[in-house]
Amino acid sequence: MASITLDNVGKVYPGGTRAIGDVNIQIADGEFIVLVGPSGCGKSTLLRMVAGLETITDGEIRIGDKVVNKVEPADRDIAMVFQNYALYPHMSVRQNLAYGLKNRRTPKAEIDRRVNDAAEILQIGQFLDRKPRALSGGQRQRVAMGRAIVREPAAFLFDEPLSNLDAKLRVTMRLEIKELQKRLGTTSLYVTHDQLEAMTLADRLVVLNAGRIEQIGTPLEVYRKPASTFVAGFIGSPAMNLIDARAVPYLPGTAHAGTVGIRPEDLTVAADGPIEMQVQAVEELGAQRLVHGHTAGEAITITMPPTAPLSDTLRLTAAQDKLHLFDRQSGARIE
Amino acid sequence: MKRTIFSNQLLPWLLLAPQLAITFIFFLWPAGQAIWQSFLREDAFGIKTSFVGLANFRALVDSPEYMNSLQVTAVFAVSVTLLSMGVSLLMAVSVDRMLRSSRIYTTLLVWPYAVAPAVAGILWWFIFNPTIGVLPYALDLIGYDWNHIQNPNQAMGLVVIASAWKQISYNFLFFVAGLQAIPASLREAAAIDGAGPIRRFFDITFPLLSPTTFFLLVVNIVYAMFDTFGVIDATTEGGPAQATNIMVYKVYFDGFVGQNIGSSAAQSVVLMLLVIALTVVQFRWVEKKVEY
Repeated sequence: MASITLDNVGKVYPGGTRAIGDVNIQIADGEFIVLVGPSGCGKSTLLRMVAGLETITDGEIRIGDKVVNKVEPADRDIAMVFQNYALYPHMSVRQNLAYGLKNRRTPKAEIDRRVNDAAEILQIGQFLDRKPRALSGGQRQRVAMGRAIVREPAAFLFDEPLSNLDAKLRVTMRLEIKELQKRLGTTSLYVTHDQLEAMTLADRLVVLNAGRIEQIGTPLEVYRKPASTFVAGFIGSPAMNLIDARAVPYLPGTAHAGTVGIRPEDLTVAADGPIEMQVQAVEELGAQRLVHGHTAGEAITITMPPTAPLSDTLRLTAAQDKLHLFDRQSGARIE
Repeated sequence: MKRTIFSNQLLPWLLLAPQLAITFIFFLWPAGQAIWQSFLREDAFGIKTSFVGLANFRALVDSPEYMNSLQVTAVFAVSVTLLSMGVSLLMAVSVDRMLRSSRIYTTLLVWPYAVAPAVAGILWWFIFNPTIGVLPYALDLIGYDWNHIQNPNQAMGLVVIASAWKQISYNFLFFVAGLQAIPASLREAAAIDGAGPIRRFFDITFPLLSPTTFFLLVVNIVYAMFDTFGVIDATTEGGPAQATNIMVYKVYFDGFVGQNIGSSAAQSVVLMLLVIALTVVQFRWVEKKVEY
């Protein structure tokens, strides 16, 4: 158990390309932090820097009180779950779980105890003597988790561990990971590009874009008060409508803002609504209906109950406290 | 598997004919002749040929020279295989760790494979030549006397080095491909699991490379036993005192130089059986992939 601190961390590749810049994160002991962002935003690189698989060119990473910039991965007291699980194919599940402990010269009885404990927690006891290739995707995922658990490390690092699973299994495993982390109370750093996964798992989210942090906050903070147009568009599904303020001059606060953000569920149909929407396409999701269209040349999407009446033109309204205002140049939130 | 149905019975045979003809003319026919000749004995003047049954084989078993050749072949094949595979694995692992310039390095390392065995033999013959060679001169400076023309162990050393050198490129390519097929995340996981570079190699990389290693093992033994004729002929010609007279070379020497066709044919039949045995091993295990 330990806290993790990233202090002005950056990485510049030998060619001069900057992958990561000015990253500051304080992760409390036992906290579940999710790094989320589009592909290529540097989230995996950042995780690998914490793991010690990538060099750090600027700043400092501390695990507990120890600066680990130059420490080998093995000596950082972390365990990592890889996207492709990285199970050793020539070893049985038991050997896979025990390998890290054996390398650390843990006594045999202790190894057996920890392996059996982990197997019980993850319900993989009956697979212990099988090879990884005889297991299904979900079972392999559990073994990969088990390999992290048996080590009893200071922190878990997860690199998109669910992205190789099918949609249904992903939801189940997501819940299991969350429960497991709460139960073990191990500090965790989790990388994903899936904003839903990020929202559901995180104690706090770190939204990354182009190697820099856009926002850090609890899922609801980030959802309710996105710090920039990037975060506003990235977190939430369907995505927030981002409208040029000049297209909707009648909305309050638009005079000094560049962009107005309104979540689709915050736009409601009202006969006297100020926004006139031309409907272009409708998607039926069962529980709700997505309506796509535009107003004054700006694309907007709203959600409606599936039974509500539809017409080619809808008049919409939005509560004033549901409007998000962003600066035209920087895209930063204006309070 | 896709099964093609020919309406005409003749067409499939016509399509197969060229390959069947080559197989028959260049493989089955000479092999059949060798088997037939291994049962015959020619008199000293080549006038009369008589059927002697298994006498040629019996003579081989009783011949201390043939037993010596078997032993020489075993030592030679094992040494060439170990040396060429060991060196190429080392090189492949080094290249695998390189990020840039590995491609140039790989290309350069492949060149020796394009050199014909006889040319490779002559190359090493020059380098090691006791009178004019560079290496004996250098060894002489540090007080080591190199003369493979007289020293049997040095002669063996020379043919082993020359033969192994040629095979390193081939092994290297397979090892590099094998190494690149191992996901980097496995080694990273092992690194996080507390295994150092050497430990990672023996616990993770080497076991996962075993299908490649086993394939190369068979290929290299076959190469050392059957394809090194050119190297031997260009360097030591089996000498000194039979020290490098491997089985393939002895077949040639006894048959074409010694004109003992019956014994030479019997020896090639023995070699044929060895090739068959190695092929069976190859198909039984390599085709099924060594399990890990």
